[in-house]
Amino acid sequence: MGLLYLAALLVALTGMVMLDRRFALFFWADARRAAIVLVAGIAFFVVWDLFGIGLGIFFRGETSFMTGLQVAHELPVEELFFLALLVYVTMNLYAFAGRVQDRAVSGRGER
Amino acid sequence: MSYWALNAFFLGFVALVAVAAVVSRRRPRWTAVALAAVVLLVTTAVFDNVMIGVGLVGYDENLISGAFVGIAPLEDFAYAIAAVVLLPALWHLLPASRRPSTGSGPSTSSGNVVGSGPSTGSGNVGDGAPRV
Repeated sequence: MGLLYLAALLVALTGMVMLDRRFALFFWADARRAAIVLVAGIAFFVVWDLFGIGLGIFFRGETSFMTGLQVAHELPVEELFFLALLVYVTMNLYAFAGRVQDRAVSGRGER
Repeated sequence: MSYWALNAFFLGFVALVAVAAVVSRRRPRWTAVALAAVVLLVTTAVFDNVMIGVGLVGYDENLISGAFVGIAPLEDFAYAIAAVVLLPALWHLLPASRRPSTGSGPSTSSGNVVGSGPSTGSGNVGDGAPRV
């Protein structure tokens, strides 16, 4: 049970990588930039999390779905993968939306 | 400090990066940002409710506004908003890798990015990708 949330996150992340590979959205568009955006994005949201935890705004829930491993006080290891997923989903969506927009524009241009 | 006050600080930083991108003429495509934002906010609403419902995270009731989407504090959506503005802005602020097509990447339709990226036998990477 303790691996359930982590496993779900990894499955979702794998899906994002597959979509990226299939449609050249993020790492398959520009691996270097994607790596920087991914790492910087995770770092930004971890700092946000740490302030939220430090201020007592939110905290890790008592649940059997998580491994119990913490990378910092009240910061479960799962959160790092969640934030990676957030970044990956966001950039895949953004790239795909741009693609859709291009299609719409060129469709109009062809008349 | 309330959750909204904390968010204001980080959203302020996001706004600064977005302004930097606009000023340096490397702004993201706002239409694509808006489209992505709609999907991301709906997704956040669904999954945040599930995550809170099964007890992955808890909140101090005295520090949140009391506005909810289902059982998700409205404040949580600041993460999605921040992501969808900050990350594309950062992407465009970063110089494109080598390839001459400036502005290649997620937001453009330039065909020559297909096959770039991780070197995992990417010959067929772009197959079937929507081309215009």
